[in-house]
Amino acid sequence: MEGSNWRPPRECDVYLSEFKHCKSLWNRFHEYYTYGKASDCQQWKEDYNSCKEWEKNHSSHFKESLQKSERKRVAEERKFSPVWELRQTPPADWHLPLNQDKPQDS
Amino acid sequence: AAREENKENLFTNKQASDENKAADSERKVEDYGYGLYPGRARSKYKEGSIGESLFTFKHKCHIMLQFTLDTSPYAKLLLGAMRNSGCTVYKDRHFSCEDCDGTVSGGFDAATSQIVLCQNNIHQQAHMNRVVTHELIHAFDHCRARVDWFSNFRHLACSEIRAANLSGDCSFINEISRFNFGLKEHHQECVRSRALRSILAVRKVSREEAERVVDEVFDSCFNDHAPFGRIPHSKKDAKFAHRDFENRDRYHANL
Repeated sequence: MEGSNWRPPRECDVYLSEFKHCKSLWNRFHEYYTYGKASDCQQWKEDYNSCKEWEKNHSSHFKESLQKSERKRVAEERKFSPVWELRQTPPADWHLPLNQDKPQDS
Repeated sequence: AAREENKENLFTNKQASDENKAADSERKVEDYGYGLYPGRARSKYKEGSIGESLFTFKHKCHIMLQFTLDTSPYAKLLLGAMRNSGCTVYKDRHFSCEDCDGTVSGGFDAATSQIVLCQNNIHQQAHMNRVVTHELIHAFDHCRARVDWFSNFRHLACSEIRAANLSGDCSFINEISRFNFGLKEHHQECVRSRALRSILAVRKVSREEAERVVDEVFDSCFNDHAPFGRIPHSKKDAKFAHRDFENRDRYHANL
């Protein structure tokens, strides 16, 4: 949603809490345990600053900076080719009552 | 310590196990893991009977399950994501507390869309939290993707990799409690090995074949973090992921 209704994708405080969490000892440990290296926490700090700056003056520069950063995050999370095909609708039998699911019972 | 060898397993429609048992003695009969869950076919005690309340852990299982669904950020996020995908989870319909084979903790029955919790093998709340999360991940995959649990090993392996990765199964503390000491990137080794064990428990395949399939799909499935958006290493990670999930409409509207 572009235009005058735009606001940062997350509350500014969320960026700050993610930054603090990212830098915490426990998180660093988990990243080493999982990936063998630490991630870049700085981006969260920059996003927090962009968010606060945008709140002050609604500058498009900070809006674009935030959008760019978040789009990059989304792209990172999609960096794999799925093994299966995603559904358009849920499985038909999810809500069926139990005894209807066992056709061999009579 | 041996009792800590708990496996979460996947199993499918037992109709498909009608193979000719009298034939070739080398050919193993595939029961899709149903043998581990004798309570699926019939229960030793009549439902609601005194025998059931005196001799099984069903009541304790239900209490712990309710606590998980009410308080675990992992479970709350998965329940929300499933509701979002059209698979609202109802405790009485989609969960079943049963007695199972010695070492199994739980399973997802795709034929009945039910999560089985092994009441005789889950005795601590933290364990219940983890099993429920693990099985909900299978249920979530069943709900949002065309998963062929019966005959596609890649799909089975993928869901097991995701469940081991995202449920806390492979947390540092859990691994230490199994005497698996490892540090750098050990999480990935754990995910691989637990996925492998889960597959071997419910399918009659060779270890080599199972390893090959896990290797084939590992990169894709290890990096698929849905619905968490990250690997939740801790309750705090899961809370943050849940926060992001609750905020998803605003997030996508302003990207």
